[in-house]
Amino acid sequence: MTDIYVSEDIKKKKHHAHPQPPEPPALDSLPPEPKTKAQREKLPGHSHNPLSAYCYYPENVNFETRESEEKVVLMMRKHPITNLRWIVSSALMVLAPGVLGFLPFVDSVPPNFRFIGVLGWYLITTAFVLENFLTWFFNVYFVTDERIIDIDFYNLIYKEVSEAEIEKIQDVTYKMGGVARTIFNYGDVLVQTAAEVPNFEFLAVPTPDKVAKILQDLRIEEKQEALEGRIR
Amino acid sequence: MLDIGFTIWFVVKIFAIIALVIYSIFAGVVLKQIKMMTDTIEVGFETPILFIGLAHFLFAVGVLVFALIIL
Repeated sequence: MTDIYVSEDIKKKKHHAHPQPPEPPALDSLPPEPKTKAQREKLPGHSHNPLSAYCYYPENVNFETRESEEKVVLMMRKHPITNLRWIVSSALMVLAPGVLGFLPFVDSVPPNFRFIGVLGWYLITTAFVLENFLTWFFNVYFVTDERIIDIDFYNLIYKEVSEAEIEKIQDVTYKMGGVARTIFNYGDVLVQTAAEVPNFEFLAVPTPDKVAKILQDLRIEEKQEALEGRIR
Repeated sequence: MLDIGFTIWFVVKIFAIIALVIYSIFAGVVLKQIKMMTDTIEVGFETPILFIGLAHFLFAVGVLVFALIIL
């Protein structure tokens, strides 16, 4: 016959003898989709800077093929540190006429030709700066709740826009390697799709681990929507 | 007698003018491309970018005009 009455001491002992296992730590999950502007402001990775290389739920962002209900989840471009090389080159180009002015043959050039030569040199420098800046600025990657979009601006007269639906993403991998990439936390995210463009490369984007996680979450969400028949 | 110095600098002048005309056309194409790209993507920085492109184009045309005057 079992005991009906159990003393408090025995209850405590039993409780201590079989302690509840601690709850596993929560995985590094992404914050939920913001519903209001205030919630959006508080999101980590959210930025108002139009020159930002990584913006989670950006505001005032639009692109040509965006649908009315489509939400831009992520906007990325190459990490700003990748611009260092051309910025240093540009600084040297700006200083070059002053240094070359000391060369002896320069005196044999008429002053008016010398002046136009210097102005021509600064035109070339301006074109160099402009091309590099615009190439960085307009090479943008968008992740929306429906698609991934890669806008490539190869040079000043050639652009390419490719896109794939989230549901067609098959595999997402990211890689970080090298000293600069480790210090500044940027890397490449490679996306394999079943779309017309089989591979998307988000090159040198900040926090590639978070980007891969966001894409993974969006894929799961898209599958969930497909199961529930909520496809737009 | 042919003045060789004058001839050389005249040839340099012609080449410089042709180069600056080509550069001005290039600057115009850049401005057009910036306009196209800002139509493709809007991130809230369109006006400064267009202004930079326009300043570059005006700089190129200005240098061309200046070269025509002083060379």
